[in-house]
Amino acid sequence: MSYHASIQSETHDIGKAEPDNCIICMEDVWASYDARSTTIREINMKVSAGSNYAIVGKSGSGKSTLLKIMNGLMMPNRGTITVDSHRPDQHNRKFQSAMARIGYIPQSLGLVRNSSVLDNVMIGALPRMGTLQSLLKRYSEADMAEARRILEMVGLSGKESRKAYMLSGGEKRRVAIARAFMQNPRILLADEIVSELDSVTSRDIMDLVAAMQRDTGLTAIMIHHDMSLALEYADRVAVMQEGRKIMEMGIDHDHVHILDFQSGNLTTQEILEMYDDSQK
Amino acid sequence: MIGVVVALVIAASWHIEASPVEFAEGLPRLWQLVEEVMVELTTVTDSMAYNAMWAMLETIQMAFIGTMVGYALALPMSLLASRNLASRWVYVPMRGLLAMARTLPSIMWALLFIIMVGPGPFAGILAITMYTLGFVAKLQYESVEAVDADPMDSASSIGLSRLQMIRFVVIPESASHLLGHLLYMFDYNVRQTSILGLVGAGGIGFYIITYTKYLQYGKAVFFMLVVLATVLVIDWISVKLRDRYVVKSQRGVAADMP
Repeated sequence: MSYHASIQSETHDIGKAEPDNCIICMEDVWASYDARSTTIREINMKVSAGSNYAIVGKSGSGKSTLLKIMNGLMMPNRGTITVDSHRPDQHNRKFQSAMARIGYIPQSLGLVRNSSVLDNVMIGALPRMGTLQSLLKRYSEADMAEARRILEMVGLSGKESRKAYMLSGGEKRRVAIARAFMQNPRILLADEIVSELDSVTSRDIMDLVAAMQRDTGLTAIMIHHDMSLALEYADRVAVMQEGRKIMEMGIDHDHVHILDFQSGNLTTQEILEMYDDSQK
Repeated sequence: MIGVVVALVIAASWHIEASPVEFAEGLPRLWQLVEEVMVELTTVTDSMAYNAMWAMLETIQMAFIGTMVGYALALPMSLLASRNLASRWVYVPMRGLLAMARTLPSIMWALLFIIMVGPGPFAGILAITMYTLGFVAKLQYESVEAVDADPMDSASSIGLSRLQMIRFVVIPESASHLLGHLLYMFDYNVRQTSILGLVGAGGIGFYIITYTKYLQYGKAVFFMLVVLATVLVIDWISVKLRDRYVVKSQRGVAADMP
């Protein structure tokens, strides 16, 4: 609450602003799972390379759908989108080569629960390996060394042979992050990877992503349930409500700039309170 | 509703002349048979017991080969029959093919293969292989289709090939079910193989039908008891293996931990 108050005291509206080096660009994107309803509508979004872009909103607001569109798991009904200069479509050959360097961590983490920690992490290296080599699990020394380095970085050294189903919630998230890091990704799409974790573990995991961003210039698009975490780590925060992006904020240290707001002239505090109310 | 079902059962029984009265009249004859069998069982010799053991071993070997070969052939076919891995143009004809293999019971396959390769255990093995192929492939593709979509989406979104997806996601995720199917199929096939001898396809069933033909019911019952004892032992081993490698894994418990 004190965090929100400090934001309000330093908030000012600077109007719309666009990032220069846009790595993910969406213009008037609409999408739906069936013909009867629209899941997301009128989405305009520009994510600059190397930034940490947070998406917040309550369940069913269309956050996860946005990520699925970004990695080509779902096609929009309308509008244009480019990811790393390609149209995200799993059948688009140009995008297929980019896919190997787009890390995706779904809400359920997408781990292979009967496989070991190491096997799960090495999945991130498979797209750059030959088919026969990968089927025989003939990993290169360089890939094995990289996997060991990443596992040490995420605090899973010594647990390489553990099955994924034997791990705690926090450990499973670290495996999912390690798998994504193993891709040497340019873009990381993460769907609530710190939900249901205690604040210490959540910050540990967010710090890992931040460190990777510093080291490699990774662009992270992360869905959060917790607005304060988004404000703490992101450069920009988009607020979703009922399939629309109702607000976008730019964050510069403790300053929050309202960049795009479609619901009239409200103060940041009013918007944050509205957001908090929508989560109850 | 229950009334309608009961009426249908009575009508069908009348139509095929299944009479409970005849059943009641036949009961004393069954008792007489049991008495004769008990007397004959005391005449079982060591050589007969030896034959029964060898015939049972042959039956188990037939079931083992048929199960393993049928299972190995079924696995790639079931992957092609899975809706989450193959296109409609592949999985629809593949399912049709597997349904055809499943339509004939193993004893009918045995008759077919006796015509092809002559009577004996080899015809029995081929019959068990074909039946296993059709039956277990259905169980396999249903398990593959039940694999959680999230690991598959994660893998496909980073550009894994179809073969890599099968090797690193589909097989590990459905491994406990696939092992369960193998155990179930072997257990089932030992029983099936025991009766294939009735049509001349080898195994212990050959002795059972021969003794029955010559009205030596005691000896036939002795061979049946050997089958029963073997099936119970296999069932017990199967339960232990299932508990160790299948059930715990499906519950998310560390199956390989002490």
